[in-house]
Amino acid sequence: MGVSSPAFSPQHSQRQQQHFSSLDDKPQFPGASAEFIDKLEFIQPNVISGIPIYRVMDRQGQIINPSEDPHLPQEKVLKFYKTMTLLNTMDRILYESQRQGRISFYMTNYGEEGTHVGSAAALDNTDLVFGQYREAGVLMYRNYPLELFMAQCYGNVSDLGKGRQMPVHYGCRERHFVTISSPLATQIPQAVGAAYAAKRANANRVIICYFGEGAASEGDAHAGFNFAATLECPIIFFCRNNGYAISTPTSEQYRGDGIAARGPGYGILSIRVDGNDVFAVYNATKEARRRAVAENQPFLIEAMTYRIGHHSTSDDSSAYRSVDEVNYWDKQDHPISRLRQYLQSRGWWDDEQEKAWRKQSRRKVMEAFEQAERKLKPSPSLLFSDVYQEMPTQLRKQQESLARHLQTYGEHYPLDHFEK
Amino acid sequence: MGMAATAATAGRLLRLRAAGTEGPWRRLRAAGLPRGFLQPASADGDAAQRRQVAHFTFQPDPEPLEYGQTQKMNLFQAVTSALDNSLAKDPTAVIFGEDVAFGGVFRCTVGLRDKYGKDRVFNTPLCEQGIVGFGIGIAVAGATAIAEIQFADYIFPAFDQIVNEAAKYRYRSGDLFNCGSLTIRSPWGCVGHGALYHSQSPEAFFAHCPGIKVVIPRSPFQAKGLLLSCIEDKNPCIFFEPKILYRAAVEQVPIEPYNIPLSQAEVIQEGSDVTLVAWGTQVHVIREVASMAHEKLGVSCEVIDLRTIIPWDVDTVCKSVIKTGRLLVSHEAPLTGGFASEISSTVQEECFLNLEAPISRVCGYDTPFPHIFEPFYIPDKWKCYDALRKMINY
Repeated sequence: MGVSSPAFSPQHSQRQQQHFSSLDDKPQFPGASAEFIDKLEFIQPNVISGIPIYRVMDRQGQIINPSEDPHLPQEKVLKFYKTMTLLNTMDRILYESQRQGRISFYMTNYGEEGTHVGSAAALDNTDLVFGQYREAGVLMYRNYPLELFMAQCYGNVSDLGKGRQMPVHYGCRERHFVTISSPLATQIPQAVGAAYAAKRANANRVIICYFGEGAASEGDAHAGFNFAATLECPIIFFCRNNGYAISTPTSEQYRGDGIAARGPGYGILSIRVDGNDVFAVYNATKEARRRAVAENQPFLIEAMTYRIGHHSTSDDSSAYRSVDEVNYWDKQDHPISRLRQYLQSRGWWDDEQEKAWRKQSRRKVMEAFEQAERKLKPSPSLLFSDVYQEMPTQLRKQQESLARHLQTYGEHYPLDHFEK
Repeated sequence: MGMAATAATAGRLLRLRAAGTEGPWRRLRAAGLPRGFLQPASADGDAAQRRQVAHFTFQPDPEPLEYGQTQKMNLFQAVTSALDNSLAKDPTAVIFGEDVAFGGVFRCTVGLRDKYGKDRVFNTPLCEQGIVGFGIGIAVAGATAIAEIQFADYIFPAFDQIVNEAAKYRYRSGDLFNCGSLTIRSPWGCVGHGALYHSQSPEAFFAHCPGIKVVIPRSPFQAKGLLLSCIEDKNPCIFFEPKILYRAAVEQVPIEPYNIPLSQAEVIQEGSDVTLVAWGTQVHVIREVASMAHEKLGVSCEVIDLRTIIPWDVDTVCKSVIKTGRLLVSHEAPLTGGFASEISSTVQEECFLNLEAPISRVCGYDTPFPHIFEPFYIPDKWKCYDALRKMINY
């Protein structure tokens, strides 16, 4: 579509009932509200000059247009900064711990901390979050303790998920963060359903659904967008466009103008933002939230950013991209440094505080890490529960069979690391 | 999926043609059907052109007395009644899917949108993965989701959402989240002319998936009670409705809600020589086979309706086989990997020394479901009877 309208263009489609009149030369088709044209012309998709990218700060953390400054209080902005940096620290330590064989797997969030924190801060604490797997900062902003991040990665007795899933598949009922699952984009139509239920319940609640630009290629994404629009759901679709889906660059993921351009195709108000600008993310999410709940319609935010880290500990991205490219983003356009420069220019942060916080946050992470390592894993009997709400007879027999097996062959199993 | 309406219309026209009646045909032609679309059968009623009668005879159960006032209902009306009861009782319950708003292609949701409102009974876009994903989300948010997949043959786009998501929601989250209030309903099984994409019985694909329940009723009374149990069950359930029974099966069904327990097979006829197990439409086939066996062979059959495919009632089936020593399982779905394999495997483990003969499976062939060859494809009473006879003479 050759539509390059800025920001949230008011195109919320109220399908007009066409008044049928055979005397009129206007189109009568139920399928579209449009005029006739007698010139053959294909609409040119606009990918050279795509949907513009909304930002508040420049790359040096200076406010560009003062009227867009959210004027957030110092305490709040410091929370942004500390959350992003704590996440960064936790990422470094847990990535390392996987390298050392202490945990089986890990995914870092390097470069995308702004997308997590800016959006999380714009929501109510009770807004339900459906994520993909690279949104740990959202949970961290909601004060999910380090102990529980670690517990899930280690699969120890403190893990709320009872050790069932690979690391980084966090979930928290209390903090309204739906447990992560590995299949991509499956959360998208689910989030729409939850939004529909919230609308029916008059809950004044928005649902936010995060996904990457790669996941947006899945059929479930198309399904979710279409359902959200037709069923008028209060949902924010938040796409982290970080340039890569493992090794696949965006040029091989799509040929149109990214994900934001798809929104209008579904009748969804859409915007593209600078994902490394935490205030831009905040402003867009805040406005989307306000309107989604007030008007019961979906919003699509495409946050442009860059995945500085590898896809996961199973990936070595030097195989498909240059170190120079990665360094550019790390050094020249990083959400954390841009916010730090903002803080410093406001006099809210300085090098000494930076040094002290780095030491403190590192110590907090290390403490949580060491404790998590020492804890036992949950009892093997928990392998069998929660398949159904009640344990079926046949499954109980299997559980008993494992218990008997371990009585005889227990020495061949790592029982010492598990609770009885 | 728009073929359904066409198929239904064509079906009605063919029945008229087979009956050889000119009158109704003329009326329909006057209603504006294209000329030459279907020519009436010749006046002397060409026997070769007449379609098969059904391969089963629906046996209504005696009127249930313990649930209050009953009403004559066919299977789709029993489904409507269950849905009506559910929406009346549970203010969070919603029904959605393709074409459910006007009443559904099989009329299962007739009247419900008018009664409960367009926010509770509504159409979705044409997208099964969306329907199920959306339903999961409603359930995760704590409301009751009743999703319809227009034909079981079209459930496969939703397979990922069902198997990887719905079934695993509670387990993977350590019971922090679940989608137990999701029920998926879908028309199932052979219908006489459905061919590859309007006849399938896909229960075996889902049997291999811990975390969901799969339930198949044989009758209107069973359908309402089992569907209500599925809706109220705290686990995601798939409820397959034998479409050939929607109109053909009629019996007295209680107006008020009632529950039939899940994961409990029903011994609908006691016997001593052979155990026959089936579900859905096929229960009526094996019931007839039991009569044939009694009449022609003096053999006493125990007939079991499995009702829930997973988790299935191993104890009832094994208890029966320990008594009879012989087991025959029959389903329309293809033989290889069909659910009869699971039953056979478990029973031979549990009842090996009690078996007098190899366990017999009478199933569809390992082919897609054919159109014109349906009468040859289905595991009809003659094939079941023959297999039973061989078992007795083993």
